[in-house]
Amino acid sequence: MLSRVAENLYWMGRYLERAENTARFINSTTQVLLDLPRDASFGWNVLLKVAGLDHEFASRHEHADEDSLMSFLVEDEANPSSILSSIQNARENARTVREVLPMEIWERINSLYLYIRDNAPRVKQGRGPRNDVLLGVIGRRESIIGLLTGSMSRDVAYQLIKMGRNLERADMTTRIIDVNAAVQLPADPAQASLTTLGMWMSTLNALSAYQMFRTHVGVHVRGDAVVNYLLRDPHFPRTVLFCLEQIEGSLSVLPDHAPAMRRVRHAWRRLAGMQLDGLKPAVLHEYLDQVQSDLAAIHGAVAKQYFHRHQSDSTGQAQ
Amino acid sequence: MPIKLHGYPQPDICDELLDAALQPRPAARVLFDYVNRLGTAELMARRASVDAAIMAMGITFTVYSDAGNIDRVWPFDIIPRTMSLQEWAHIDAGLKQRLTALNLFIDDLYNAQRIVKDGVFPLEVLAGSQNFRAQCRGLTPHFGVWAHVCGTDLVRDKDGTVYVLEDNLRVPSGVSYMLENRQLMKRLFPELFKSSDILPVDDYPTRLYDTLAALSPRPGERPVIVVLTPGIYNSAYFEHSYLAQKMGAVLVEGSDLVVQSDDCVYMKTIAGVSRVDVIYRRVDDDFLDPEAFRPDSSLGVPGLMRAWRAGKVGIANAPGAGVADDKVVYTFVPQIIKYYLDQDPLLPNVPSWMCMYDDQRDHVLANLDKLVVKPANESGGYGMLIGPRASVEERRQFADLIRANPRNYMAQPTLSISTAPTLFGDRFEPRHIDLRPFVLQSKDLHVTAGGLTRVALRAGSLVVNSSQGGGSKDTWIVNTREA
Repeated sequence: MLSRVAENLYWMGRYLERAENTARFINSTTQVLLDLPRDASFGWNVLLKVAGLDHEFASRHEHADEDSLMSFLVEDEANPSSILSSIQNARENARTVREVLPMEIWERINSLYLYIRDNAPRVKQGRGPRNDVLLGVIGRRESIIGLLTGSMSRDVAYQLIKMGRNLERADMTTRIIDVNAAVQLPADPAQASLTTLGMWMSTLNALSAYQMFRTHVGVHVRGDAVVNYLLRDPHFPRTVLFCLEQIEGSLSVLPDHAPAMRRVRHAWRRLAGMQLDGLKPAVLHEYLDQVQSDLAAIHGAVAKQYFHRHQSDSTGQAQ
Repeated sequence: MPIKLHGYPQPDICDELLDAALQPRPAARVLFDYVNRLGTAELMARRASVDAAIMAMGITFTVYSDAGNIDRVWPFDIIPRTMSLQEWAHIDAGLKQRLTALNLFIDDLYNAQRIVKDGVFPLEVLAGSQNFRAQCRGLTPHFGVWAHVCGTDLVRDKDGTVYVLEDNLRVPSGVSYMLENRQLMKRLFPELFKSSDILPVDDYPTRLYDTLAALSPRPGERPVIVVLTPGIYNSAYFEHSYLAQKMGAVLVEGSDLVVQSDDCVYMKTIAGVSRVDVIYRRVDDDFLDPEAFRPDSSLGVPGLMRAWRAGKVGIANAPGAGVADDKVVYTFVPQIIKYYLDQDPLLPNVPSWMCMYDDQRDHVLANLDKLVVKPANESGGYGMLIGPRASVEERRQFADLIRANPRNYMAQPTLSISTAPTLFGDRFEPRHIDLRPFVLQSKDLHVTAGGLTRVALRAGSLVVNSSQGGGSKDTWIVNTREA
């Protein structure tokens, strides 16, 4: 496999995951926000913080009102992480590797792109149409995953796409948890407790983990239990631990994987060593930073080993 | 109810599907019976479904000036262009004759130059050729073949004669659209392929693979073949990717390849470097190797010419093959065929005037309003003058260009290029078309059954290039004899 092709497959996997995660997060936040007390400082800008785009948004918009924010997150081509940009990038990556993908994958990615291109403006037409559009993105993206799973050999190309997906997914999980560390709770204890509950439910919902959490952990949603679940549950497919295991599996199929594998094991050990009982927000934030930098180190090792051969004269894609 | 015709009959223009009485020609009869039986509504519905399929399949081409939106959907007309097998057999033979002679010619130019010494091909034409590569002197590639893949453009004039308009010997494109068009037609009109005898074209990727594999420097082993593309922004990127996929070859960009000190070409993979045997390059000579040609090229591979000269890699088309892809050289092809094969050409050239000769140039300058003038080395319809449609000012400017560089120009009469019925709304309108068959040559010589029919979609337009508003049709070579 060419290094350049490997890099494009990996990024295709990442961008598709990013688009779907953003769509899911917008939908779940919309639902939870409606239930929160008015004075909880948990507003739409939470979405910007997760994506790490609050500064970028602030430089171009005065108010984080719902419409301008949705437009920014979904259809703004100048925002490199908007859903439209992510899908465009995934499609451009797919275009350069069409010959190693099953023909139908390209058709599906292309039609996902055509769908979001044509429908993105509807996200400003209210919550109903927005929900429809975002569900449309999620459904189409899931069908791509289904097709990959059902029609592609577990070859190097498949593993690279999967690795990109799992790295992006683990990173997004930490970002979504991290939002809660930044929330100022209301002074009134009853209100504060309600807010906390809402926040953690929102977190689980954003990761489609609410139902699984209740089934496997318990009906009571408590902060440290949620964090522990989302970071270290070995069975739910969006937890950091699960993603690390998947990355390890993908790497084992690739040649010369020892350096990247060392970074995965390092991340794993640090994850296992975290003390999560009675967790304080500041410590949580520090832990999440640590996971994110460990994931970045895995990405760095993968890029160095597999992608940089062809890159002596160009830079890689943006994270 | 028959589909309505609009714009017929046309005086002094031959239609490929309809005769002077507006009756379908023999090769088009089954088709016409069929679409007339389908009726307008059903035909329009099927066209809508094929448009959706093209969009979903992402069959695209690129327009350079379209900033921000780099690919456009390939415009496709669902009414195929038909030709009888009998007529096609003649064209097939003519193309084989022509490409055999052209390859002998190229090989001679880079070696003994007998044709120049014998006074058949003028030295000054050779001297003025932009595509002659001195770096290729003294080389004879496998089988003596330089142009392994050629796309020759054919047009039919009002008297029914099929002329050769030009030979594209550098990096001709369009064959993927020929293949995709056929796939679309099979989706669209499966019944017709059962009831009539249409020659298949689907064997092209296999034929191309065999043509390339024969160039491997390591015979006996399964060759590693790559398609070298300038990248995603090239107008034919879709085709490069498509052909790589169909042949099971690796699609590479220049930066993916490296020539090492053993003069072998390697590709950079996730497991280190791996040797390449044959390169089907879709990058122009100029950009192929910055060591040998343009030093500022970032598309090419430094040292590639060294590897090729050392016989460590096969390259198709061979560097330097473009010397015969020159509109002034074109005018000599009848003599070239006669010289090397001692045969008369089966397919005529369009009569041409060469501006390098004083008397012919005077004729051209005096008749600019009646002629089409073409520069020697442009492709894609760029830089030419269509005299009858140009303004006085445009003609004056062009006359200055010709006087400044006469070797670079040749002129031809404006032909009355044939048309084919094309579906617009609910009716057929005539549109001008040409035909680009593809010829493969290395160990064997093969011509596609038909080729790519390009159509000028604007009413009255003669420009069929996709970069300038052209589209395409499927091409059916039909065996009309009863089995």
